[in-house]
Amino acid sequence: MTIILVSLLFAALLGAILALIIGVAAKAFAVESDPRIETVTDMLPGANCGGCGYAGCADFAKAIVEGVAPPNDCPVASAEATVRVADYMGITSEEKEKVVAVVRCSGGISDTVRSPYNGVEDCRSAVLVAGGAKGCDYGCIGFASCARACPFDAIEIRDGLAVVHPDLCVGCGKCVDVCPKDLIILTPAAVDVHVYCNSPEKGAAKRKVCKTACIGCRKCVKASDSEDQMLIDGFLIATNYNNPPLPDLVEKAACPTTALRLATQHAAGAYEGVSK
Amino acid sequence: MADNILAITIGAILVNNFVLSKFLGICPFLGVSKKLSTALGMSGAVVFVMTLSSLVTSLIYKFVLSKSFTINGTAVNLSFLKILVFIVVIASLVQLVEIVLQKFSPPLYQALGIFLPLITTNCAVLGAAELNVQAGRGVLASTIYGFCSALGFALALVLFSSLREKLDLARVPVPLQGTAIGLITAGILAMVFMGFSGLV
Amino acid sequence: MSNKPRKFRGGVHPNDSKALSAASPIQDAPLLDKYTVIVHQNIGAPPEVLVKKGDEVKKGALLAKASGFVSAPLHAPTSGTVTAVDKCDGPTGLRVAAIEIRADGEDEWGSPFEPITDWQNADAADLKQRVSDAGVVGMGGAGFPSHVKLSPPAGKEIDTLILNGAECEPYLTADHRLMLEQAEDVVVGAAILARILGLKSAVIGVENNKPDAIEALKKAAAKTNVTVQGLPVNYPQGAEKQLIYTLTGREVPIGGLPMDVGCVVQNVASAVAVNDAVVKGHPSIERITTVTGEPLVNPGNWRFRLGTPISKAIELAGGVKVQPAKLLLGGPMMGFAQNSLDVTVMKNTSGILLIPAEQVSQYTSDPCIRCGKCVSCCPMGILPATISQAVENERFDLAAQLNVLACIECGSCSYVCPSRRPLNQHFKRAKAEIMAARKKK
Repeated sequence: MTIILVSLLFAALLGAILALIIGVAAKAFAVESDPRIETVTDMLPGANCGGCGYAGCADFAKAIVEGVAPPNDCPVASAEATVRVADYMGITSEEKEKVVAVVRCSGGISDTVRSPYNGVEDCRSAVLVAGGAKGCDYGCIGFASCARACPFDAIEIRDGLAVVHPDLCVGCGKCVDVCPKDLIILTPAAVDVHVYCNSPEKGAAKRKVCKTACIGCRKCVKASDSEDQMLIDGFLIATNYNNPPLPDLVEKAACPTTALRLATQHAAGAYEGVSK
Repeated sequence: MADNILAITIGAILVNNFVLSKFLGICPFLGVSKKLSTALGMSGAVVFVMTLSSLVTSLIYKFVLSKSFTINGTAVNLSFLKILVFIVVIASLVQLVEIVLQKFSPPLYQALGIFLPLITTNCAVLGAAELNVQAGRGVLASTIYGFCSALGFALALVLFSSLREKLDLARVPVPLQGTAIGLITAGILAMVFMGFSGLV
Repeated sequence: MSNKPRKFRGGVHPNDSKALSAASPIQDAPLLDKYTVIVHQNIGAPPEVLVKKGDEVKKGALLAKASGFVSAPLHAPTSGTVTAVDKCDGPTGLRVAAIEIRADGEDEWGSPFEPITDWQNADAADLKQRVSDAGVVGMGGAGFPSHVKLSPPAGKEIDTLILNGAECEPYLTADHRLMLEQAEDVVVGAAILARILGLKSAVIGVENNKPDAIEALKKAAAKTNVTVQGLPVNYPQGAEKQLIYTLTGREVPIGGLPMDVGCVVQNVASAVAVNDAVVKGHPSIERITTVTGEPLVNPGNWRFRLGTPISKAIELAGGVKVQPAKLLLGGPMMGFAQNSLDVTVMKNTSGILLIPAEQVSQYTSDPCIRCGKCVSCCPMGILPATISQAVENERFDLAAQLNVLACIECGSCSYVCPSRRPLNQHFKRAKAEIMAARKKK
């Protein structure tokens, strides 16, 4: 009995002394941190993709709590998740329009081959020495720098061409930064019609190096419902994302080079081998 | 005495290295060895905790736990409380380190993450305290042993993290990537340390 | 300055194959009916085009003016009509801006410059202005505007002028023939450059595998302050930093320029261009280029006007007897592979090299086996193997730490690598990424 009592007493005494030391230390070296940051971090997707412009989700959460960034800056989070964060912070959040990446090139290896390339299989390396295997200066090099940068596996390399799967893309924009040809743009997810060409050269020059280039024939402009649905810039036509055409334009316009495509169909491989 | 201390030093750092020979403290050894900078931070924390815990535990053991005394006619010896007391002391020290680190080096605190509180359950720390008792070392010898064992742990951790930084650049076959190649490397490193056996 | 040349660290000894064209005297390429002059022929800012379609130009007329300090003007290679200011295939594989001139066949000089025959007594500033106005750039390959090198910033004392006649690239013999046939011009050019820099002397470095050129230069330089120095044969002997070390024992610090150690290095072809600009009043509108390679019928050296398409050069060399598999501008070590015969001769086109199929391997690169050959041959003393692994993992911070920026892209490491790793391309990438990141900051 005595042993038990002494043991208990000793343990209690030791505990008390140590607790006192830690308590004093905790007071002396106290760090103020906002517990909300951790909660918000947990609410975010945790992909750490950097699409919001901050270094990872924790950093973004800090910005939200400090009121520097709105919750809808996260391109990955679903609408509900964003609202949840906003509710927790006691602010209202507008739903942000979802964007997806589009690689503005449709020239696969079989459409635009130039010469064999024997070197590092990386777009950013290839542009430094002769620019890869394809004939077009403006087109996709096809060595998958964007696909490797994509944290969501949304980019596939098919026939030496980067193709974005719109259903997998969350629009974080990582691929936009790595493309040495500045081919990739973020477009509203609701728009399906895109011109898959980025070459400002003359139609004939483009046609010489690529079967699927936009030759600026304006068939799509004429077929569109209103005048400014397709924008003409020199020899290149692009979708007007502020006043986008309906998906049926692709069929109506019957683009002679199939540069005008639906993103969903393009991803599904519907245009392969149809170029003349 | 000086001979003895030298033997303890070399023995603890090289011959009976806690990680590579006794296989104690493997969890942080694998966990925080991805980068040299965090490995150095972890080493610093472990050196601090292990030295201090060896000192404190040997003091407590020498002056309280190992003593037999009589209360109300009953002979009392509290040495059976050894492990309990040791772990409480270690846990408190880790808490202390955590508080100080959070204040003065938030990036290191972030980088060490869960492994910092886990020093508490790091068997190397408790092991040092226990081995001191088993070997019947005095307070000074115990403290030196704790410090040198921690240095041995730090040495192993720094060597290993440097290797892993190199491994980062190598092309490792897919099934072996990550911890697998880490364990293989650790095994080879342990074999290298076998070369020190018989030195003391 | 000690007279005994030192050996720089590392280097390789590729088969030089210079015999193909070394004995062939320089011939003037005949006048063509069309020239496509690429606008951006210098390192630095591209010059600003002054002509438009339909303009009549005389030979030597200004086509584009320098658009900054590090920039060089461009002059018409012959008289005729500007038929287009458009794009043509460029030497890097991209299409670049070019001026197309249809020759009128008269080849009539305009009146661009007054010859400065009494250059010994002319003002140094006037001479430098002439070099700048004539659009002289480094003709060894880089195309760095010569007048920039002749303008050391205040506080940088220049005490040595080196003329680079090493021509260490295999196959190339253009500088060799130039030194042999126009030794006088090289020496006069050197003396003019020395005068601009306020120096009394200059040294011409020539690799010992060109004894006839050394002999000719020594004869021409006999009564001048220009000395000629034979150099050990070792690639890349003609690289600026290696040449300076060989001749003076000075090492250019990492990230530094030759002027940091009191040296200015100019190519011998640039010296001749300086001579032409000052003594004759001719702008830089032609250059000597080696057209060589085993597939050619008659490899040799020609004096081409700027804007001559490669296809014409190959025609002049008698065409091909076997189908070549690769076409390079420059030498085999540092040259650029071409995919178009429409690329035209530029101020820095030292060679046009055709390589037969049996010498071109379509390789895949293997993992590094850590043999260390690249480390021992690297003339800059960096670690190609480690850096290339860092680049493969996109660790450009590590590559920068390992001094990838010191790389001179000589290609020695790629040449010796038994795993045929694309080391040089990795370093190009790393340098580009690091510079881009620094610019962003």
